[in-house]
Amino acid sequence: MPKQVTVRLTEVAKSFGETRALKKCNFEACSGEVHAIVGENGSGKSTMAKIMSGVLNADAGEALILNERILTPLDAKRIGLATIFQEVLVADEASVLDNLYVGCDSFFSMRTSTEERAREAQALLDRLVGHPMDLKATVGDLPLSVKQWIVIARAILRRPKVLILDESSAALDLDATLRLHEEIDRLRATGSTVIIVTHRIAELVRIADRATVLRDGVTVGQLQKHEITEANLLALMTPADRRLSEAANTSGRASQGDRTIVLKASDMIAQRGGAPFNFTLEAGSIVGVAGLDGQGQDAFLRAVARILAPFGGDVHIRSEDGNEMAAVHSLLDAARLGIVYVSGDRKREGIFPQQSIFENLAIGIYRRNLGPCGVIRKSELRKTFAREVDRFRVKMGSSQNRITSLSGGNQQKILIGRAFANDPRVIILNDPARGVDLGTKRDLYRELRAFADRGGAVIYLSSEIEEFLGFADRVDVFHGGSVFRSLRAHEIEEEAILAAMFGQSKAEIVEFTTERKVH
Amino acid sequence: MSLRKSLSVLAQDRSLFVPAALFAALIIGVLLLSPRLFTVNGLAGAILVATPLILTTLALTPIVMAGRGSVDLSVGPLLGFINVTLISWLVGNGITSPFAVIAWVVCLGAAYQLMQALIIIYVRIAPIIVTLASFLILSGLNLMVMSRPEGVAPDWMLSWGAGTSIFSPVLLLLVAAFAIWAIMRRTSFYSHLRMTGADERMAYTSGVQVDLIRIVAHVLGGVFVGLAALSYTALISSGDPTQGSTYTLQAVTALVLGGANLAGGRGGAVGSTLGAINMFLISYLLSTFSFGTVSGFVTQMAFGLILVGSLLVNVFLIRRQAAN
Amino acid sequence: MTTTVTASPSTSTARSNNLQFQRSIVIGFGLLVVLLIAGAILVPGFISLRNARSILLLAAFLGLASLGQTFCALVGALDLSIPYLIGAANILFPSLLVAGLPAWLAVIVVIILGAVVGSANGILSFRLQGQALIMSLGVGFAIVGAVQIYTSLGTQFGGTVFAPIPAWLRNISAFNGTFLGLPIPPVVVIWLAVVGFTIWGLHNTWFGRSIYAVGGSRTAAARLGISEFSVWTAIHAISGAMSAFAGVLLLGFSGGGFVGVGDPYLFTTVAAVVIGGTSLLGGVGGYGATVLGVLVLTVLTSLLVGLGLDFPAQQAIIGLLIIPMVAIYARSPHIRNQI
Repeated sequence: MPKQVTVRLTEVAKSFGETRALKKCNFEACSGEVHAIVGENGSGKSTMAKIMSGVLNADAGEALILNERILTPLDAKRIGLATIFQEVLVADEASVLDNLYVGCDSFFSMRTSTEERAREAQALLDRLVGHPMDLKATVGDLPLSVKQWIVIARAILRRPKVLILDESSAALDLDATLRLHEEIDRLRATGSTVIIVTHRIAELVRIADRATVLRDGVTVGQLQKHEITEANLLALMTPADRRLSEAANTSGRASQGDRTIVLKASDMIAQRGGAPFNFTLEAGSIVGVAGLDGQGQDAFLRAVARILAPFGGDVHIRSEDGNEMAAVHSLLDAARLGIVYVSGDRKREGIFPQQSIFENLAIGIYRRNLGPCGVIRKSELRKTFAREVDRFRVKMGSSQNRITSLSGGNQQKILIGRAFANDPRVIILNDPARGVDLGTKRDLYRELRAFADRGGAVIYLSSEIEEFLGFADRVDVFHGGSVFRSLRAHEIEEEAILAAMFGQSKAEIVEFTTERKVH
Repeated sequence: MSLRKSLSVLAQDRSLFVPAALFAALIIGVLLLSPRLFTVNGLAGAILVATPLILTTLALTPIVMAGRGSVDLSVGPLLGFINVTLISWLVGNGITSPFAVIAWVVCLGAAYQLMQALIIIYVRIAPIIVTLASFLILSGLNLMVMSRPEGVAPDWMLSWGAGTSIFSPVLLLLVAAFAIWAIMRRTSFYSHLRMTGADERMAYTSGVQVDLIRIVAHVLGGVFVGLAALSYTALISSGDPTQGSTYTLQAVTALVLGGANLAGGRGGAVGSTLGAINMFLISYLLSTFSFGTVSGFVTQMAFGLILVGSLLVNVFLIRRQAAN
Repeated sequence: MTTTVTASPSTSTARSNNLQFQRSIVIGFGLLVVLLIAGAILVPGFISLRNARSILLLAAFLGLASLGQTFCALVGALDLSIPYLIGAANILFPSLLVAGLPAWLAVIVVIILGAVVGSANGILSFRLQGQALIMSLGVGFAIVGAVQIYTSLGTQFGGTVFAPIPAWLRNISAFNGTFLGLPIPPVVVIWLAVVGFTIWGLHNTWFGRSIYAVGGSRTAAARLGISEFSVWTAIHAISGAMSAFAGVLLLGFSGGGFVGVGDPYLFTTVAAVVIGGTSLLGGVGGYGATVLGVLVLTVLTSLLVGLGLDFPAQQAIIGLLIIPMVAIYARSPHIRNQI
């Protein structure tokens, strides 16, 4: 079967207000291939996927799928393009079968026999999920991983000529990811184009025929099958000058002498069904937390900050005078005892979009500046605001502008400034560098290290392994709901972290990757 | 519908359990307290009185199912508007042919709902605000068209309101509405409507024409409001500018009582009809007690409490423990 | 409304970011000026002390009733129980007087009951916020029914209660009421005090900032330890208390308890909030904006009355005004941008 170009993007650009998500994007994919789109968080991958699927329309340039322009998802359906979006979009109220065939009928047609559909869906879903599924079950009752499968099955049932997967394996474990890859192989064999959008390098090394790399909204290069290696990808994703050399020599600088334990979590069960584990945090240290999505690391961070109660175990923090350990029972306890939490999901759980820059920082410290009857003493606030803005070199106009007038990186600086303004003793950061530029990352690493040197302690979760290198003093890798491996200073290297993320030793993962490549 | 079939419907749809149980309890209550309802005259009267509410509730059903919390607060005043314009513009000008009257009520209802749908979709205002404004506008207009209850229904309609026969034209209106619903249910529009209401973003990205769905849902609702206005006109045999508005709260209550989810995605003709009948039975039962001067207030309080109660039941009993 | 620390109106970003706030003020004042000019031209005696006094008097009632609605709108809710609580308070108060309670105690009792009902409303609707509006309607209906049953027991008048209204209360709310010898109805002074206190409080107290935080982003507020439940319940309680207070004051204005006295406030409170520029989606706006909306609405009504339009026509015109105003301030994002 001769290969044809099925997807072609030329000079595509897209802006959201002040933010330029895509600047110049050229892309081409053929029938019968698996083409990966790779880039760091915030590089514009999802925007690109949405433009290809008709959800968004490009501001400039041209996007052609099977030689047609796609302006709405309806167009996409018509020509045979299916997209699995990053967010798991299902109707909780409806049955599995209804969810699978949503939008398959034309408007106002009589409904076609559902028996044939049910049989087809049953076969596919059983194969994907790995155990028999009840198609009449209500989707809202099912766990997230099954919902993810429903979304994937919905796309595959359309027999797409072009299939786009936008970070679609997020909720799947390793075993499930392999089943998904088998399905992708099957589609490729029938001549479909499969486009995988991901920031997880390990995944695409195994499956992709070609890869296009996106950096800051620009497509910077294309790799053929034999060129797809982690080194090559990383080199394209982050240019040399952006490698984290500055941060590299910061780790391990803190005195190795007497390190008092600031925070202790004992018998923690972060995730339902996870094994209990212990966690300690020493003064002056930066502990990295890694893991594949949904392995409990995120839940652990939230449990320590008491955003969510853990399924078991408790958290103690050394009291201010240093003599005893105080239990942390609630979010307010955590705040009072000097634990602050910074989320990387700025939009959802960080900023107040309609409020000013000043307000967004100050709201974190109003509680510390309350007079009688809850009246805020404003005198101190301005000084604190100026100090934090200065510390993080925030680029901004008037402090009364809305926070959304700032770039993503500067917004994040304000949120981290909000955390610092509380004079915390433990800072918990949940993937804070998501979608921020390198300058911000550098400032962040520098300030966190300075904070640790002053005797503070940091828990730092990242979805990008490179972040830990040369920065963290210890990396705890989560797998299956608890800490699978704890890597000390000299053990912190990419392969080792990656292996532990998959629940394997380093040797095993190397072998595994090569085997898949041969296949 | 055979008993077994209706039982299987109940088993499938948990949301129908509460209204069905309440219905059974109310029927028993009526049997004990006032079995007069189950005579020919009693039933004929009941159908006559309950039909406007059933049809208004049916009108709300597709609109609410389409999601975005679009509880159409304007159905009551719209019903009133169709009623007063029918009496004062058509009958007042000597137009009384059944064809013209039916065309007028159906088209006016559909046209008004079409306009609301277009505003909701293209001006992108929350539906509740649009219908809130509509409530205000229509309530005002109704009083401008007709300042107090007056006029008479067309001659051919007068016999409708007699309430002496079960198989009256009013029942025919009800049957017509159910027929429309049954046909609609068999098309893919129905599943599109449910999916749009359950998760509009999912429906949109799956290639469902969500805007068109919303428009059709509103127009369908408008047709039902038209039929409701016709049966209401038959009931009161004249025009009334204010009483129609009271149907909004009753219909919303009946809808919730019938197990529909005001957030969208869940609802149907069976539930809505059960809810409306339950509302009727409750007020019927209340009227068998003699509360003297306060009976109107008792009914008012009861409706309020039922609305609050059934909202809570819907949320806390029917809602499943979502996995996330 | 907002305190400007560093004024830098020269930069373009500053302008674009304060645009919404400025626009609502400009549009509000613009409308007000247009209406006043139209009134001056079309209605003889429109620009007079007498008319100004009556506008302010009516604005004070609407303004007090709209306070709770503003708070609710700031967290994305609407409270439709306001008119029913006003009506209920309006008949409950005189029947408490008849029952022998001293007037000052009766005022306090009614306001506390209003707050209790309001907080019940908040607690009940917290878990189903999308349907809070319908819930508040149900609560309002139930309350007004209950109060009517209470007040009607032993009398043959349903819905209307007669009792001698204390002179001081009549003075507070009457058109020719005086305040410290000045010909200003004291209710206007009360309203101005409430306006000042509320605007200051929204910006300078933890509670005020919490309302904006919850309205702006529920999750982000939760991360800061702001209890959404407390805020939600508290604003509904305030709304209930203010409705009850307005209901009592309206009694001084009308002279006899009547349950339907609150009815116009069902939509005028919403209209005042919307015209002022408080987004019904939450997080943007404030009581200052609502005050502007109240004045626009009251002047408009006065103009329409002056033009000889009756109540139904006024109602229809105010309804027509709501949609374009919401279209300016609170359009929902297109579905494309929600994925």
